[in-house]
Amino acid sequence: MQTITLKLKDAVRSGIATVPVEVESLTPDQLFGKSEAELKAVKVWWGNREENTGDLFDVSVEGDAASADEVKIVMEGDLTRVKRIGSGMKAGEIEARGDVDMHCGALMEGGRIVVKGNANCWAGREMRGGELIIEGDAGDNLCAMYRGEMKGMTGGKVTVGGDVGECICQYMAGGEILIKGNANRLAGLNMSGGKITIEGDAELFGPDMTGGEIVMNGKVLEMMPSFKFLETATIDGVEYKKYLGDFAMGEKKAKGTLYVK
Amino acid sequence: MADGELLIRNGVVYDPINGVKGEKKDICIRDGKIVESVTNPKVIDAEGRVVMPGGVDIHSHIAGGKVNSGRLMRPEDGRKGLEAKTSVCRLQSGYSVPNTFATGYRYAKMGYTFVMEAAMPPLAARHTHEEMIDIPILDNAALPLIDNNWMTMEYVKSGDMDLLAAYVAWIIKATKGFGVKIVNPGGTEAWAWGKNCDLNDSVPYFDVTPAEIIKGLAEANEKFEMPHSIHVHTNMLGHPGNFEVTKDTYDLVKGVKPSKDRQVMHTTHTQFHSYGGTNWGDFESKADAIAGYINQNDHATIDIGSIILGDTTTMTADGPMEYSLYQITGRKWTNLDVELETGSGITPFLYSGKSPVNTIQWAIGQELALLVKDPWKIALTTDHPNAGPFIGYPIIISMLMSKKRRDESAEDMHKVIFDRAELPSIDREYDLNEIAIITRGMTAKALGLHEHGKGHLGVGADADVAIYDMSPEERDAGKIQKAFLNTKYTIKAGEIVVKDGEVVATPPGRTIFVTPECDQKLTDEMLVTLKDKFDKYYSVTFNNYPVQDAYLPNPYEIKAPMRG
Repeated sequence: MQTITLKLKDAVRSGIATVPVEVESLTPDQLFGKSEAELKAVKVWWGNREENTGDLFDVSVEGDAASADEVKIVMEGDLTRVKRIGSGMKAGEIEARGDVDMHCGALMEGGRIVVKGNANCWAGREMRGGELIIEGDAGDNLCAMYRGEMKGMTGGKVTVGGDVGECICQYMAGGEILIKGNANRLAGLNMSGGKITIEGDAELFGPDMTGGEIVMNGKVLEMMPSFKFLETATIDGVEYKKYLGDFAMGEKKAKGTLYVK
Repeated sequence: MADGELLIRNGVVYDPINGVKGEKKDICIRDGKIVESVTNPKVIDAEGRVVMPGGVDIHSHIAGGKVNSGRLMRPEDGRKGLEAKTSVCRLQSGYSVPNTFATGYRYAKMGYTFVMEAAMPPLAARHTHEEMIDIPILDNAALPLIDNNWMTMEYVKSGDMDLLAAYVAWIIKATKGFGVKIVNPGGTEAWAWGKNCDLNDSVPYFDVTPAEIIKGLAEANEKFEMPHSIHVHTNMLGHPGNFEVTKDTYDLVKGVKPSKDRQVMHTTHTQFHSYGGTNWGDFESKADAIAGYINQNDHATIDIGSIILGDTTTMTADGPMEYSLYQITGRKWTNLDVELETGSGITPFLYSGKSPVNTIQWAIGQELALLVKDPWKIALTTDHPNAGPFIGYPIIISMLMSKKRRDESAEDMHKVIFDRAELPSIDREYDLNEIAIITRGMTAKALGLHEHGKGHLGVGADADVAIYDMSPEERDAGKIQKAFLNTKYTIKAGEIVVKDGEVVATPPGRTIFVTPECDQKLTDEMLVTLKDKFDKYYSVTFNNYPVQDAYLPNPYEIKAPMRG
């Protein structure tokens, strides 16, 4: 195993405006095989400037890796303005120790990301595979598509320990997601595949749904009026009311399923 | 700034307007023009490489309201073409609806130096000109939409052809436009009533037919020495069986005498108008019928509007067509009614080689190019972005030049191509001279721009030159495509703007506009009716309508005198 520790320098976070750092170039698959000097020279965007990783982060490397799967990146310091952590990553592990900014795990294809705090909007956006664990809350558009696209998350697994924002999993077409807290409005908007499980409370989930399933274990604050009650179903010994919809999309397209306790 | 004197040495030159077909020749440039000789030039070694005049695109949607609406409604398209700014270039975005900067750079990289914006709603002329100012490098012009206009239809109805000519002259002047654009005549107005119009249907309320509108505008156009003929998007675009309408439209203007030595009608994106069958099930290619007509007649020219497979954004003033397209795809769409003048619609579309309909469409565009015998009657376009983005031109060029490439591509398409299209049985291959004709020579002539220094390399012409990094003997389709996508050099008005496939300078382009010089008495009579329209219906006043000179910082005027 190899552990690469990247600690954001305090100086990067000082000043009047907090200019974001974008770190999609710092994934295990891209950093695998690099010496410490090479690592420090990897370019990252800081606002509209390209900077060396070593100028923005304190870098330390321990151990060796035979493949990208054996590389673990630990990110430390104040990460609230660090965007695109693990974006597009294919293998290995990233552990972010703190709250992270937008697009964490976006376009991720493989490997594992653990966020030991909250994640801002667009985490897991258009995720294709791998595992994303957010121990705190996640913002809006978690695992959704980006503006205008017709596919959101298509694969992989996501777990959120806390609450999530609006429009999570919009245009979701595959994969699985577990929300341990509450979900704000419009979870699973335009969803066509995959599975969302919400342990907490939620309202107006599943609008324009044409496939996939949402399992609601918490309290339904407001139900979409365009779903049809089908039958009572039992999953793992628990009884659910099963609904079909969204009939706002037309009779033929209403192939989404809601399980409500 | 032009680079003073330039000498392009030993290139293999294709300059069809001057009859130069692949001759080893030097090209001399001074102060932005082609000259006989130079004394102390900077030398560009073009040994063994293909040299052509700068490309002239006859029909492309690059600027204005609907292009910008396309950008706004398709952020996902913007993502596809993102390129960070450099010390020379500004930020680029977009694939089918690139931003203005990307539009200029990408055309220039393909060796193009003039592009015609093919549909300018008169009321949105300022927006169109503003975007054309923002498009670097390219010279440009725009065709105002004049056919679904209330003034036009009323004059056609009353038969006041002189007053119609006065109105046509006025609106081209007011919009700083280039010529007469006709899009689904009558049909776009009918769409405001929830309907569409076939060629001989009566337009709701106005009680004229599309056929009468086309003929009337052709006659009005020829009352002036206009550089270009009427430019027509015929009725029933994209409908199975529409090839009859297309042929009937050609016949309409057969008797009209052109005011200059050119066609009397250019019909555009003919691929969309060459359909047989009665529905999408028995849909088939009728490119042979259309090409046959063009071969036998000399009054009409066409451009192909060839399909580029993949995702694109369709946009046209043909509102009802966009609505039927939306009904097929169920994707997002928008449309707009432009007061008394025209309308528009936009929806994204995916052309797939797995779809039988798209496969036949894909074949038709190339069939047209291969079946029309005289390349001086046909132009290469993709009706950017309707049939595909302009950066697909090199793909089409490589297809037209290589039967092998077409055969290989046909194997990947829906098998319907072997039954309901002719493409697999056509052996013709374009040579470089013919490619130069359909991308510069013909287009410059059809637009009348060869008289204004475009599309050729004769002494006195604009020093717009494309040097492609390929030998004239090259037969490998992949290498041909690569060479036509990124030039070795593009020279615009004597300045090197692209070198080794990279943009190295971004001078502003010029906007070419036409001033039809109408008799004052007729104009005054027409203005009485027009001012009444402004008072009663327009959301702007008459005095605030015309585009001011400030919108054309680099103008080039072509005067079109009225014929006696």
